[in-house]
Amino acid sequence: MTLIAEVEETLKRIQAHRGVVATMVVNAEGIPIRTTLDNSTTVQYAGLLHQLTMKARSTVRDIDPQNDLTFLRIRSKKHEIMVAPGNISIKITIELYVLLSFF
Amino acid sequence: VPKQSQAKVTALSRLNSKGKAGMQTPSPLSWCILGIICREGMPVYSVFDDEGKDVTPHPLFRSDPNTVLPRQGKLLASSAYFGATGSGFLSSFSMHQTSGVNGTLGSFSRTYGSSSTSLSNASTTESVLDEIVEPEQKRSRLLTSYNFSDVQVRQEEIKEWTNEDLDRRVDIYLTETETIWILDMPSVVVSVESEDAGRVLERNRIYVDICKNRPGNDRFVEKMMQTINGAAKNKEVQCDKIIMEDKGMLVTSWDLYDSFNVSEIEPTSKYYHVKTVFFPYYLLSGSTTSSLMISESAVLARIHEEEECHSEAILTSENFQQNLFFMERILMENIFQPKLAAYRQFPVLIGLFLIGCPAAVKEAKQEEHDKEKDKEEQKDAFVDPSILLERLWSYICDLTSGHNVSTMAWSKVNPDLLAVGYGAFDCKEQKKGLVCCWSLKNPMWPERIFQCEHGVTALDFSMASPNLLAVGMYDGSVTIYNVRSCNDAALLDSSESSNKHTGPVWQMRWVEQDRGATGDGKKERLICISADGRITEWFIQKRLDCIDLMKIKRTESEKKKLPGEKERKREALISQQAAGMCFDFHPKDTNFYLAGTEEGHIHKCSCSCNEQFLETYRGHKGPVYKVAWNPFSTDMFLSCSADWSIILWHQDSQTPILTFSSTTAFVHDVMWSPKSACIFAAVNESRAEIWDLSASILNPVTSCFANPRVKFTSVLFAKNTDCLLVGDSKGEVSVFELQNLAAPNNNKVRFTRTRWWSSEACMLVWYFIPPKGASVKDLANRY
Repeated sequence: MTLIAEVEETLKRIQAHRGVVATMVVNAEGIPIRTTLDNSTTVQYAGLLHQLTMKARSTVRDIDPQNDLTFLRIRSKKHEIMVAPGNISIKITIELYVLLSFF
Repeated sequence: VPKQSQAKVTALSRLNSKGKAGMQTPSPLSWCILGIICREGMPVYSVFDDEGKDVTPHPLFRSDPNTVLPRQGKLLASSAYFGATGSGFLSSFSMHQTSGVNGTLGSFSRTYGSSSTSLSNASTTESVLDEIVEPEQKRSRLLTSYNFSDVQVRQEEIKEWTNEDLDRRVDIYLTETETIWILDMPSVVVSVESEDAGRVLERNRIYVDICKNRPGNDRFVEKMMQTINGAAKNKEVQCDKIIMEDKGMLVTSWDLYDSFNVSEIEPTSKYYHVKTVFFPYYLLSGSTTSSLMISESAVLARIHEEEECHSEAILTSENFQQNLFFMERILMENIFQPKLAAYRQFPVLIGLFLIGCPAAVKEAKQEEHDKEKDKEEQKDAFVDPSILLERLWSYICDLTSGHNVSTMAWSKVNPDLLAVGYGAFDCKEQKKGLVCCWSLKNPMWPERIFQCEHGVTALDFSMASPNLLAVGMYDGSVTIYNVRSCNDAALLDSSESSNKHTGPVWQMRWVEQDRGATGDGKKERLICISADGRITEWFIQKRLDCIDLMKIKRTESEKKKLPGEKERKREALISQQAAGMCFDFHPKDTNFYLAGTEEGHIHKCSCSCNEQFLETYRGHKGPVYKVAWNPFSTDMFLSCSADWSIILWHQDSQTPILTFSSTTAFVHDVMWSPKSACIFAAVNESRAEIWDLSASILNPVTSCFANPRVKFTSVLFAKNTDCLLVGDSKGEVSVFELQNLAAPNNNKVRFTRTRWWSSEACMLVWYFIPPKGASVKDLANRY
């Protein structure tokens, strides 16, 4: 399987899980690359979560600069948001957000 | 000259004549005062100097006080002083004058001249300059009147300024004037013997008297005078706006760290450098992504030509794949968390309550199990609580559904990694096989998928090289995969070997054997048994190289002629070989092993003897699907067969010790528990059973029923936990948790064995073993 097909399939598998409300792949500017939500909601989520991710990463790296943030989970009453942040040292950071609702 | 002023003038003149001796005021000009500086309304006089030029001082008052106020102030002050001091000052002043030099007055006139012309000109500065530049001319200009009328006349005299004159460019030169002496009274020294000495002394005495009389004298009045502040003139200039920017930055320790390490990262992409330049900015407080967008836009501006493949680049980037991987794992963890905790034998949290040990969970969930009957049966006889099977999850995905699970094996180093081979048992159901490596962390999608040409019938992980997975297939070929790579291709293949099997490879094992001869310590060998009647050892060249793949030599270390019956002669190999179905090496001494055949015989063979069996165990009426040595009581072994029975053997006895038959179905698989000496699991087509020999030898302590259309085909114990994996014919590998298992009593082997031997079973067995041919099974069952 080509790489892109494999990646797409993994994404599809994640989306197909019971309990997953939405999945988003967003680049650093907040432009969605793949999303299952409408654009305005995606952009809103991307903007908000980007800041939080940056802050979280800054916190982690402040404590130990050789450390880095690998994953961020936010549990709320209704949902759980899971953020896999991108790598900041490459020119484009990619972030993957998954929204999961409790069942 | 009017009388009023004449007196003063006269005084002046008198003094002029007198005071010549004392004064030596150097001055370039010699003046002679004929008039007096008067204020407005007073008579106007003219002053002529020696040459006859009119150097009349101009009047003090000007209708435009702003421009001349400073100088006017001085002059007024001096004039007021004139009036106040009276003759005394005048005398001194006149003394100054009598020298005939009046630089001061000359300067006054000069200023007058300037101030007068200022009125008449539109530009003040011009007048001043004109005055200064051409003092002589101004002096020659005479003011005949000191009052307003004079000024106004002067004004009328001036011609009308036209616009051109106003717009005319005027050059203004600012220079420093000569020093203007307001008052210069140098002291004079006279010898006492000169003829003027008397006069000088007299004058000095008068002066002293004046000074003495000064305080309190009415003629001396102190008066304050307010100087007029210089009017400031504001001049505005417009220049280009100086653009200022504030930049703030939050310095963090990782920022410093990154900046120091920039040089270590290879400068391959220019974007990175740009990024480091902009690096600090993204932390600027501001709107959501705008700060980063600023830097990003600068970066992206340079790569606009690659816009179209951005999203592709993003999706295929390694980082993203890793993110996806993590995300999937975490989702699985979310979904399966209670099950995984049970697998790891943590206390399971249900809701908000800590249930405690799995025993309590079992109490709560008894209705799920259909073992109440068995439990009650055993309760009468035994005190131990029964073992329960609780289903946790299944390893299944779309890819594997529909395939028959034929074999399962754990990885030797990672106890959470499971390899499952999918392939049909029957020759008529053959389709493409599949090998999947499942990880505990993702029960919904396998980590590795290897597509195989034929149905997979056997597989095993290597111990020496834990990433090697050997797979045996229905067509007799053996393949070795490297599970480290995601590549689907096989690492080594036996397809070009000339000696490969012609029948399905029913079992294969990596066996560690002591090779004292080679002095190499433990060496691992790959042993296979297949339906063409051969047990073979496969050699893998030292270099796991694809080229050497062709050279997989199969030394036919044991070529067994498996006679179907005892009486059969040994004939030609090819036709007279019985199919081998399974084998198991002795756990303690890997030199000999058991081999089960299709005819129902179990042979004990030795690696050092290629020709003969050491022993043959006959008891099964159908193909022996599995033999397994007891890992603790190493003299006992189990065998299961298609004749619906499981037989327990002792290696010294050629007849079965015990037979277990609980159902009328093929028993596909049997396995000893790795923790207890008495527990084993067996799977026949409709049930998965757990037998506990210390509890009962007639019935399994627990069993789990399969779905109606599904048959169980293989069973595997988990090594690090009390779980049982059962594979079925629809491609599902179910994970069951064994609850209430007795504590692992592997260290009580002897005790168990003795106990077991001492129970009725052993006595019965020993009693029944010697006579051959007796139907042991009937007796055992009856008991």
